Amino acid sequence: MSRWGAALRFIGVGWFIGISILLGVVGGLWLDNKFGTKPILVIVGLILGLIVAFYGVYRMLLPLMRGK
Amino acid sequence: MPKRGCLGCSFPLIIGVLLVLLALFVVGFAAGPLGKSMLGDLGLPSWLSVPRPDPKLPAEVVFHIFGFPITNSIVAAWITIIFLVGFSYVVTRRMKLIPGRLQAAFEFLIGWLYDLCCSVAGEKNGRRFFPVVTTIFLFVGFNAWLALLPGFGSITIHTINGEAELFRAANTDINMPLALALTSFVFVEFFGLRSLGIRYLSKFLNFGAFISGVKLVFKGKVKDSIFGLFTGVITIFTGLLEGLSEFIRIVSLTFRLFGNMTAGEILLLVAAFLIPWLFALPFYGLELLIGFIQAIIFGGLTLIFLTLAVQSHEEEAH
Repeated sequence: MSRWGAALRFIGVGWFIGISILLGVVGGLWLDNKFGTKPILVIVGLILGLIVAFYGVYRMLLPLMRGK
Repeated sequence: MPKRGCLGCSFPLIIGVLLVLLALFVVGFAAGPLGKSMLGDLGLPSWLSVPRPDPKLPAEVVFHIFGFPITNSIVAAWITIIFLVGFSYVVTRRMKLIPGRLQAAFEFLIGWLYDLCCSVAGEKNGRRFFPVVTTIFLFVGFNAWLALLPGFGSITIHTINGEAELFRAANTDINMPLALALTSFVFVEFFGLRSLGIRYLSKFLNFGAFISGVKLVFKGKVKDSIFGLFTGVITIFTGLLEGLSEFIRIVSLTFRLFGNMTAGEILLLVAAFLIPWLFALPFYGLELLIGFIQAIIFGGLTLIFLTLAVQSHEEEAH
């Protein structure tokens, strides 16, 4: 793993977290308004977004954690 | 006796230049809205101040070709393409073994990008990814820098919908970053499919563990089958997450470039409006840096995603 690879991975992580949580919440809100199930789908979307964010970060930083 | 001075100029010259710059700054401050609100209207002529900026988020249509609307950001993108193609042609037309100044500069840039690709993706894959990454880097970078040319955004043209700017940095129109991100996505999937074959899809649709768990159910091993089914469900779920994160990458690449470039454009406009003339200069330097950094980030993240795509699951596990 070169220094550039490590730096680029760290740069990519920040926006990835933000966008995945945002998409989950916005998608949940949209579906809630469509089906009239006000709080449930927002929470589901938020949790799904958080899981995707953590999993994506884990996958992107996995080579660094192994110290390759 | 060695000549005394600073940056190759004599001290009186340096002091004179600094005084002129300071005078420009003071005049700009007094003429701009910030100074006006602090000092009151000093009766300075109106040509000293900059008109209030009016940034528009969607790109404006400049003209039509066969009924197809051409926006000002498309024109800027075309100029970038023409510039890059023409420049590459001029540089590579008469290549010499001992390069001239222009050729050496271009060779340095290309060599640096090539080393970057090879250091991240390895020698073999780096050679394959290099054209994609370099094209994205050069396009994004030159787009950003083209928009910083003085007078670039101030040429206006009469259209059906009124006055419109002829050029506008292509990166500040969200369609351009989206198109680049989609291109990057397509290349990632293409290289992944090409180097791993059908196994690449098993990253996203991973039923192998689940099927073996089902087989264990029929064999009648209760404890093993429950464990097998559980891991099977988990692998299916992580496969879905993997697929979802591919699409989130597109959105995050798009908004990163669009947001940074649009914010920079508006920052420059507002800085030039508040204190005209000299105040926007440091922000120009900042925008030069940000254009370069965004180009590296867009190209480099494409490179990272390409590298991730060509690694098989078995390789990663070790």
